[in-house]
This record gives sequence, C-alpha cells and structure tokens, in this order.
Amino acid sequence: MRKNVKRLLALTLTGAMTLSLAGCGSKDEGGGDSKKDDEEFSLTMDQIKLGEDYTDVKADLKFLTHKTDVIDTTFKEYISEFQKLYPNINIEYEGITDYSNDITTRLSTGDWGDICMIPTTVDKDELGTYFVKLGDQSKLGETYVSDWLNNFTYQGTVYGVPSMVNAQGIVYNKKVFEEAGVTEVPKTPEDFLAALKKIKDNKKATPLYTNFAADWTMNAWDAYLSASTGDADFMNSGLTKGKEPFTDRGDGTGPFAVYNILYEAVKQGLTEEDPTTTDWEGSKPMINKGEIGCMVLGSWAFVQMRDAGDNGDDIAYMPFPISVNGKQYASVGPDYCYGINTNSSKDQKIAAMCYVKWLVEESGFAGGEGGLSVVQGDALPDALASFGDVELLVDNPAPEGEENLFNDINNDSELGINVSGVIPKAVLEAATQKSATMEDLSKEWNEKWTTAQQNNGVE
Amino acid sequence: MRNFIKWITSAKVNKVLCIITFMFVPLALLTVFTYIPFGKMVGFSFYDMKYIGDKEFVGMQNYAEVFSRDDCFKALKLSLYYIVASFVQLGLALYFATLLSFKTKVGGLFKGLMFFPYLVCGIAVGFIFKFFYTRGFVLDTVLQWCGFNLDNLPYWLKDTSINNISVAATSVWRYMGQNMVLFIGAIMSVDAEMYEAAAIDGAGGWQKFRYIIFPSISTIIVLNLILAITGSLSVFEPPYVITGGNFGTGTYFVIMDRLAHSSQKVGLASAMAIVLLIIILIATLLQKLFFRYFIGEGDQEAIRAVRKRKKREALAAAGNGGVQS
Repeated sequence: MRKNVKRLLALTLTGAMTLSLAGCGSKDEGGGDSKKDDEEFSLTMDQIKLGEDYTDVKADLKFLTHKTDVIDTTFKEYISEFQKLYPNINIEYEGITDYSNDITTRLSTGDWGDICMIPTTVDKDELGTYFVKLGDQSKLGETYVSDWLNNFTYQGTVYGVPSMVNAQGIVYNKKVFEEAGVTEVPKTPEDFLAALKKIKDNKKATPLYTNFAADWTMNAWDAYLSASTGDADFMNSGLTKGKEPFTDRGDGTGPFAVYNILYEAVKQGLTEEDPTTTDWEGSKPMINKGEIGCMVLGSWAFVQMRDAGDNGDDIAYMPFPISVNGKQYASVGPDYCYGINTNSSKDQKIAAMCYVKWLVEESGFAGGEGGLSVVQGDALPDALASFGDVELLVDNPAPEGEENLFNDINNDSELGINVSGVIPKAVLEAATQKSATMEDLSKEWNEKWTTAQQNNGVE
Repeated sequence: MRNFIKWITSAKVNKVLCIITFMFVPLALLTVFTYIPFGKMVGFSFYDMKYIGDKEFVGMQNYAEVFSRDDCFKALKLSLYYIVASFVQLGLALYFATLLSFKTKVGGLFKGLMFFPYLVCGIAVGFIFKFFYTRGFVLDTVLQWCGFNLDNLPYWLKDTSINNISVAATSVWRYMGQNMVLFIGAIMSVDAEMYEAAAIDGAGGWQKFRYIIFPSISTIIVLNLILAITGSLSVFEPPYVITGGNFGTGTYFVIMDRLAHSSQKVGLASAMAIVLLIIILIATLLQKLFFRYFIGEGDQEAIRAVRKRKKREALAAAGNGGVQS
C-alpha cells in the first residue's frame, strides 16, 4: 500500500510539472487578451495634468533601465518625490547592465515590465505593436521640442519621449590643452590633429583616449556624421540614398573626414599605447587629473568626467572639429526614450504615463545627467555653455514610407552605424597595424553600403 | 478494476512506470531547455529575420551565404590556435597527473591549487587576464623581474602575431586542472601491484608510464582529446571578454554573435550555428575512427594492432607450411 502512495505522489508531482509548464504557455495568451482592451485606451500625455488627474490610480510598475548606477540613489528619490503626488503607484526599477543587447530579446517576449528605454533596434512600423501611443507629435510638440520627438514617431504618432537629449562634441581637459600651448579651440581636422600633436610633445598626457576596449565607446564616432555635413537630411537621405557616401570629399567634411581624424590620430601615435586594455571607469579620473587630453563622447559624458575628481573646473566641452563653409555644427539627438508596454493593464498604462510625464517634466533627470531637456524653454546644460555660435543640428525624420530604410541598409551592410561601431573599430585596427589606408577602408564601406542599398531597393 | 491494479503493480509495468517517472524531470528539462530551442533555431536558419519584426522564408539562402562569406571560415582557422593549446593543456595535465598520483609531498594542496582555476567563471577569467596582459601590469612586471626589458616585450593583446596565443593560453590555464583531476582519477584505478611487478622487472618511471599508465587510461585520454578539440572549434568566452574579438581574435562564435546582435541577422547566425554543429559532428566522427584504428576503444583492440597480428599470424602460418612441405 505504501508503495502505491509513493507512486501516486510521483505521478502527482509529474502532473504538477506538466501543468506548471502549460501555465507558462497560457500566460502569454493572457498578455494577448489585455492587448485587446488597448484599443479602448486613448489617453495621451498631453491630456494629463500632473498632480491633479488620476491621483487615486493604484498600480505596481516595473521599469527597465540602463542606468544601473543610480537605481539605489537618484531613482529612489524620484520614486518618493513622485509618490507625494501619486501615493498608490509603486515603481520597481530593474537595471540591466548590457542593456542595448538584452532589451531586444526581452521585448520579444511581451512580458517585460511596464516602462522601458526603447532600443534603436525596434523598427518604426513595429513601434505600435510594443508600445503605447503617448500622443500626437503635433499636440506634444506644443510643450516639447517637436524635432526631438522624431526618433520614435511613426506617421505622426509619438511612442517614445526622450529622457534627455545629447549634443555631440568632444569632452576635453582645458588645462591640458592650454599647457600644451593650444589657446584656441580647434575648428578643423588639421587644427585638431596639430593640437593633439602639441599635447603629445608636451609629454604629460595621452592626447586622445579612445576607450577602445570598452567597445560601446567607439560607437560615439558614428554620431558626428550629420554634423560633419551640416545637413539635417544627411542621415535619412544623404546617407541612405547617396552614392558612395564614404568617399573622401577632399574639403575636410563628411563621414570620411570624421573617421580620418581617428585614423590619423592613431597612426601618428596620438592615442593610448595599447587600445586593447583601456579601462573605461579608470579613464574618468584620468581626464579629470589631466592625464588625458580629450575623449570623443556625447555631452552626457561631461558631467561624469567633471565629477570624477577634484579638478572638475578643468573639464570642458567643445564642438567636433569639422567646419562646413566656416561654420561648425553639433548634432543634437535624443538619448534613450521612455516607452510604455502595450500589454500592461489599463491602470498600469495610466500610472506609467503619469510617471513618464513626471520624469520628463519635473524630475530634472536630463539636467542632472548633463543633457538637454526635451521640454521647451528649459535651460541649456553647463556642458554646452561654451558652444556659442555653433549651430545645433537635429536630424530630419525620414520621408514617409522610408522610416525603416536606414535601419535596413545599416543591418544589411553590417557596418553597424550608431549600433556597434564597426567602422571606427576597423579604422583603429587598420591604423594601429598599418594594414590598410583610409582609401582602402572607405572603398570597402562604400561597396558594402552600395550592395545593401541595392538589396533594399535604392537605385 | 482489480485487473487494472494487478496490471499496474505487475513487475513489468512497474519497471516501465518507474523509468518514466524518474526520467520525466530530466527529460522535461532537456526538452524545454535544449531540444525546443534547438528546433526553433533550425527553423530560424531558413528565414531572413530579426529578433523582432516580420520574418521571411528564404530556404537555403542563409546556408549559401555562410559558405560564400569570407569571414566565417577564416574565423574557423583561429581554432587551430586553440587545438594546439588543447594539446599543450592535455600534455601538462597528464604530466602533473602522473606526478601527483604517486606519493608527493603536499600533493593534495597542489591538486587543489591547480584545479582552482576551473572553478572560476569564464567571464571572470576573462577580466582577470585583461588586467594580466595590460601593458606594464602583471605579466610584464613578472617578465621584467626575469630580466626582460619592457621595450622588447610585445603588446600581448594588440600584436596580431601573438594575441591569439595570449588568449588561447587563458583556456589552458583554466581547463588544465580539470583534465588533471580526471586523469588522476583514471590513474588511481590502475592496480598498484602492476607497478611493483614492473619495479621488480626493473622498469623506470618513463617505462611505467609508457607501458602501464598510458595503456590503462587511453580511453579517458581519448575522451578528453575529443572534448578539447570540439571545444576548440566553438571557443567564445575568452576572445569575447578579453579582446571583444578585435585585432583578429574573433572566433567563429564571436562573428556569429556579432551578426546576430549587432546586425540583427538572426537567420544567418542560426545557419552558422548549424553549420558548425555539423562540422563538429564530422570532426568527432573522424577522431573516433582515428582512435579506433590506432589505439582501440575500451576493451576493444586497435584495428591496426589486430591487422598487424593477423598479418604476422598469416605469415607465420605460411612459414610453417613451407617447412612442413
């Protein structure tokens, strides 16, 4: 008899296993159900008055974020501030270290949380399947800078609002430049390389630190392409439809000129000795102390470098040293944007929208991180105080029907522009080993790009 | 009803039931975490797809691309570094195992110390060696103590002539101890009387190893060799963590990861994975045949030895016949 009991127990257990496995499956279907009531969900961000509407909404929210460093500090403060207005909304942050890679996989499961930072891998026409409509661009554009909403807007509907907006320039140590005898901020590639040379001869600092080993830092070089042409349509038309866009223009402008600065700097020994063992965290105090001349990174880096030591006053930010017809440009573009899960329940969506609105308008996150706020009329961050007559350049959105074209060509060509920094990495490797000239490299990129253009129907 | 109880408690059915219930959990885990994902991946390899968004059926096109791209199979050449490294690793492991399986002072401590690296997780090993190889850090300092001049030392991870060796060396460091422990286990099972008998016959250390230890543990050596070589074909962690696959250290898996994650070519990467699987299967099969021919498997004698013996016997028989006639 006892044997039978045991056997029964075993069978029940296995049965329970099967059921729980089946349970995993049915949960997905549950997600599908709540998608249906999404059609009735029509609230948009502009309709919410913070602190007045929906203050009695009860919801638990999960927030996926790439800012792993401030989850226990700044974000805790945000939550308690926010809960003064909305006491019944609980927010739990989940930090993901390898955010840009992991988030795409997480999104494809549907069950990832309520708010996340939208990755660039989501195609524009897919936005609606994953994210809640936050409003119409024309409506939101009344309070926010309309151009800065372009990144995650599809056919006039906004799905993501930038947490902050970055300007692209170069973070540098003023003292190092001055001590080496560089008194004027360089405005052309030649002047810039000459300045780096002077710093090298002064022998106190690494003129340009690439942070090659950190990998994602190399990505930053791709962000100067539109500024290098002074053309707001470059990324979504000049590059996608232009013929052989990587060719040397001969006048120190365009993509070739951007990457050529890196190539020449490495070739002339103006960068760190061994790029394979650089240390990102270590580089911050180094530039602060004056052991590094400059780093090519977005304006968000300014605050981190300034706060990394006692010499914060030495850190400054300059526009990228390319002038188009005597004028310098700085591309301005959104950092990660907030997006809300379409599979969340109605209350969760309302709560999430309130929180996102609060984050964008009230939290002061953008300023604290050294970026521009998307809200019209907010002050410029310290980093850009010295930009003076530099023109801020915002990429124009792709023409209708070509929203995915850049992503498609970019993926197809495997050049990973703004995704994985394939080009700047190849430049650095080639310049270090002297295995290829810039002409060889640009020819190769042109070939890949042209093939990808043809595959995607660009003549 | 009674019949049913009788049937279900009968020894034969009972045995089957037992097997099924006990096997259910591991089989379920295996299915859920290995076979279903694998099946999905096989499916993916026939599509032009990204992680999210629509997918388009393209048939064998991804496979054709794997063979026509020049970077995939070029990356496979890097495996040679790791195969050579795995020979070094097994040689060292065998050497230390033989030493440590005889009475050695503080042998347990040595065993522990050498096994330890295997317990460190692969990512951590990567970070350790990144600092180890940094200019002027651990390795350079130690070499300077030995009288080397820093200016004459290469950049361990930057120099394309040496960086693959540097990276492969880390896996020797990590897996040598594990191989050694397996070998010690096998050597322990050799009957101690054989050594005594050999000693009486006047055998030295090398002869003991060559004629007693080596034949007794050849099966486990072959197994480790096969595992090491198939492992060398699919190296991922060391180059991914230490160099990110840059400066010519991108192995097949690193290239695959790049295609899947940076360029979102999931279908192509899946096809690459399956091509590699087939290559590994072929490599394993070839190795098995090779060892069956030269060394033999388990209790089975090597085919070559059997042939030789038969030849000898045939010759001897023919010779005898000649005498008789």
